[in-house]
Amino acid sequence: MTDSSEPAPDGGYAGATDELPAATDEGGHATTESHGLPPYGSVKRWFVTTNHKDVGILYTVTALFFLVFGGVLALLMRVELFAPGASVLSAIGYNQTVSTHGLIMVFWFLSPFAFGFANYVVPLQIGAKDLAFPRLNALSYWLYLFSGLLLGVSFFQGGTFSGGWTMYAPLNIPTYTPSIGASTAILALVLFVASVTVSSVNFLTTMHRMRAEGLTMRRLPIFTWTILLTVWMMLFAFAALLAALMILSSDRLLGTTYFAVTSPGGSILWTHLFWFFGHPEVYIVFFPALGVMAETFQTFTGRRIVGRKWFIAAMVLVALQSFVVWMHHMFLTSINLQIKTLFMATTIGISLPFDLMVFSLIYTTIKGKVRFATPFLFTFGALILFIVGGITGVFLGAVVLDYQFRGTYWVVAHFHYVMVGGVTALIGGLYYWFPKMTGKMYDEFLGKVHFVLYFIGFNLLYFPMFVAWETPRRVFEYPEALTVWHQLATVGGFILGASFLVMFYNLTRSLVDGEAATGNPWAYSTTAEWAIPSPPPLENFPGVPSYRSGSLDFLGGSGATDGGEVTDGGAVVARDGQAHETGTQAAHAGEPESHASIWPFVLSVGAFFVFLGLSGLQEGSFVPGLAGDVYLALALVGGTITMGSFVGFGLEHFHAPTGPFGESWPFEAVENTKLGVWIFLASDVVLFGAFIGTYVFVRISAGWTGWELVPGDPIPGLMNTYLLLTSSFTVILALVAAEKKSRWGVIASLTTTILLGIGFLVNKGLEWNHLFHEGIAISSNVRTSTFFLTTGLHAAHVVSGLVIAVYLLARAWRGAYLDDERPIEYFGLYWHFVDIVWLFLFPLFYIL
Amino acid sequence: MHPMALFPAFVAPLQSGLVPDGGRDEIFRAIFVVFLVLGTIVGVVVIGYMLYNGYKFRDRGDRDGEDGIDRPELGELPEGGGGGRKLALSLLLSALIVITLITWTYFALVDVETRAVENDDTLNIQVEGYQFGWEFIYPNGNTSDTLRVPEDRTVRLTVTSRDVFHNFGIPAFKMKTDALPGQTTDTWFQPNETGTYQAQCFELCGAGHSAMNANVSVMEPEAYEQWYANTTSDDAASGNATGTTAATAGNATTANNGTTPA
Amino acid sequence: MPSTKLYAGIYVVLFAFATAQVAFEFVGLLESAYWIAFGGIIVLSLIKALFVAGYYQHLRYEPRSITFVVLSALIAALVLTIASSYSIT
Repeated sequence: MTDSSEPAPDGGYAGATDELPAATDEGGHATTESHGLPPYGSVKRWFVTTNHKDVGILYTVTALFFLVFGGVLALLMRVELFAPGASVLSAIGYNQTVSTHGLIMVFWFLSPFAFGFANYVVPLQIGAKDLAFPRLNALSYWLYLFSGLLLGVSFFQGGTFSGGWTMYAPLNIPTYTPSIGASTAILALVLFVASVTVSSVNFLTTMHRMRAEGLTMRRLPIFTWTILLTVWMMLFAFAALLAALMILSSDRLLGTTYFAVTSPGGSILWTHLFWFFGHPEVYIVFFPALGVMAETFQTFTGRRIVGRKWFIAAMVLVALQSFVVWMHHMFLTSINLQIKTLFMATTIGISLPFDLMVFSLIYTTIKGKVRFATPFLFTFGALILFIVGGITGVFLGAVVLDYQFRGTYWVVAHFHYVMVGGVTALIGGLYYWFPKMTGKMYDEFLGKVHFVLYFIGFNLLYFPMFVAWETPRRVFEYPEALTVWHQLATVGGFILGASFLVMFYNLTRSLVDGEAATGNPWAYSTTAEWAIPSPPPLENFPGVPSYRSGSLDFLGGSGATDGGEVTDGGAVVARDGQAHETGTQAAHAGEPESHASIWPFVLSVGAFFVFLGLSGLQEGSFVPGLAGDVYLALALVGGTITMGSFVGFGLEHFHAPTGPFGESWPFEAVENTKLGVWIFLASDVVLFGAFIGTYVFVRISAGWTGWELVPGDPIPGLMNTYLLLTSSFTVILALVAAEKKSRWGVIASLTTTILLGIGFLVNKGLEWNHLFHEGIAISSNVRTSTFFLTTGLHAAHVVSGLVIAVYLLARAWRGAYLDDERPIEYFGLYWHFVDIVWLFLFPLFYIL
Repeated sequence: MHPMALFPAFVAPLQSGLVPDGGRDEIFRAIFVVFLVLGTIVGVVVIGYMLYNGYKFRDRGDRDGEDGIDRPELGELPEGGGGGRKLALSLLLSALIVITLITWTYFALVDVETRAVENDDTLNIQVEGYQFGWEFIYPNGNTSDTLRVPEDRTVRLTVTSRDVFHNFGIPAFKMKTDALPGQTTDTWFQPNETGTYQAQCFELCGAGHSAMNANVSVMEPEAYEQWYANTTSDDAASGNATGTTAATAGNATTANNGTTPA
Repeated sequence: MPSTKLYAGIYVVLFAFATAQVAFEFVGLLESAYWIAFGGIIVLSLIKALFVAGYYQHLRYEPRSITFVVLSALIAALVLTIASSYSIT
């Protein structure tokens, strides 16, 4: 690219005009016709949009809202800590503040803030027109927003959760945190995890399958790399968290006894499940910040990242290792010395790749043309903060020191230097991409003022915590001698908070009457988002992006958005493998992508009410009185809305990007939806794996061989094994029938599958009923809890499968799937997976 | 299993004097100071180098190409990037520092973990956390909400919880361990100065967490024995009468009877 | 893609293995040699799972990369199970 700041004229580009706020009326109308997307100015647009750039903006704005929310809570704490002893907040109020501050910052601010950029920038960097599943992307956003609102509601239900963001057992069960709001907070997290899972599947499919020609994995920009690794970690880590949260919800709502005081190893179990998620989570929130650092270091020093491939290799290593360091959070529990030693070693191991990354960034500045514009000030500052955080982290790696630092402000200071250090880089990212996202330049002077206040405030807030490290965490009493340090920290907290007022003023003001930004306001930026206008048009690129020549080109120019013929489509399609795909692609060629759907929003509203309703459950029944009726009604209404929107979702004609795509390694021959299904199933493997792992752990704690099986008789289980195996076989028959274009074959096989599935559930119902009559209940003890909950989760999977099967049957009745049997195939993948899970649950719970 | 059995090679350095010895607070202080000094040096050097580079290579407004350096261009495909050797060297250096430090402290860890086990003269006390306080159970069955211990003797604590997850710590002795319901953890300390200290809860455990403290009273050995003897007579019903006449002997017996497996 | 006949054959094998697993219990092997029976039953489950994944989910005929995705999830779950169980022994 020679002159890329002003790209080729975008005439003939249907979506281009409506993206400019100035020209909404005429342009907007035309697009409503073709994309169903109202213009920017319209409020409706923000409810229906599925375009990745809009969703990115929604994520960013919402995350900033939660930053303010969590920040205000932090300031409340700092006010409380200005002097030892309770003053402003009640004791339980303080615990709630501590807990929700942590939850909001870690879950509802940090990752979503990064995912605002990921949504906006990653498709641009990889040369995709949108994510693989645009509606699921919108769904992720709305689930995220509504999960956050649900957390907000929890404050008004007798107080929210007060057991810390780590939610240690058994403080997390109703015996010790009885308020309904505490359950709501847990359910809000479950909903949040749903959002993350959908998002991970979507991003992984997109980033692996939809890269521009020539953009092989090793050529991906580092920011994109960080997001890729982040979503891989998310996929597995959040599945483990989901298992933990489901078990916790079950303890809170249904009365299972996993974490009860009487359960063997209950509190250790929680720490394992939580930290198995919790440690990768540290990198999940930090990696995107690292990506922003790498991008801005390259841009603002005018030097290519030193040792780029080592940098990437180091990150891959960290992503893998992040799953084997979790027990360093448990050094003081009753785990044995051998495993402590092992995890100490892995922990040291994981710190070393970070050294490499830090050095790589520092060396990048050498011989540079370093310009301290606001984005770089923030990321440069972030690196300094991260170095301090890293060094103080080595202290924690020495177990003898960790024994003393555990539960003190040393830990608080350390992880704030690391995590808020990450935030610092992300703020830099906000300034960096603000011109791209809005088409307006921010005010450089105010940006620098923000940085100065921020950096002073940050260090004044967190550094004294190192000095006052003997203060226990989450406590408002501390020795008088430490008062001065806590007062400094409080002052710093307010300076840090005030610095954001400058930022909000700056960005809002610039949005209204800032200088127009060119396509590429930064010298030496390299990535594709800077090669298109600011903000980019709806379809992103003026042609098909390709790196075949060794640098970015837009092939085919205007109009040829799907132009297989221009991009040497034959080769691409051939690489894409399967023959039937070519047919579909041809059929859709030229049809513009859709960008609007109301169903993600509606579905999330439904889910919000379902979860709000469920929060009224205690010990398996709704709380007594009118409140209970209201909760039940909410759950029912929410359930109806959710089911309705699923159908609406399924029936809606929506055209996602279909390719052909350039680079799809290592999934060239796997179509997007199939890959999506497999990735989702992988997360489900971890979910069930964690459930089974929990069972194994609990049973070992209680003594493996002394464990009495809950069902006295394996025969009902064997019957169910037969039923499920047979139903798997009939799904195969349905697929074979569809391939043979036999409508009746499909209908008959699907009907049999459904009947067998129902038979499975009926048989299970009879078995459970029998057990209940014998006085064996879900809440009897931890043995019955594991039995009913694990097999119950499996049954829930069967139910979901049946719902899909009924939908398929209804469509098959009208002759669907004979030309395109893939929906049946993909349903089969899920159904067989549920079958496989049962193949292990059956011996574990019925025989062994 | 005795953890030391796994690491016979580590015994030698333990005896060589390289690894800090003494009470937990002394071990902690020795290691902490080394970490603090080295950490500060590394931090100052690295951050200083960063700032120096940032200043030295600041943009002076000269045009591209004048310095003969190839700058990144929009739309280019990223290269592998050179500088691998420099990176590897830096990494090696930092790895060396970190691994040496951690290995060094590992010997101290093994020492800390095994100390109480090796010592026959330990005083065994059980600690039970509850919302919101601590109960100390002595070998003779006496319970107290103040932890009274004699000076200069290793005290071995077996800690558990009656309800939620707590963490028992005495900052003055740099000793801390989790208190888990249904599980026990062991730890020890060696008070070497009489006085009153404070034990605290270090894990969020509910509304009263901030004030979940207990007093720790380190007594002159004689005063302790006298106090202990009196508590034993209070509980004389259990037939532990020897304690009143020969406190030391009685105490040793109880310890050997093993309230906790030593 | 395998033939319907192969699918049916696999179905029969799955059916037989499930029956065999329960037979272990009925012949009393669980009482006499628990860990041998344990091993046998788990191995049967593993073989069944491989058949379902390999043929019904036709992983055998898909690019290996898909198998690796599922396998890495499985390894993650196993790491959690084994390490946490070991930690309390």
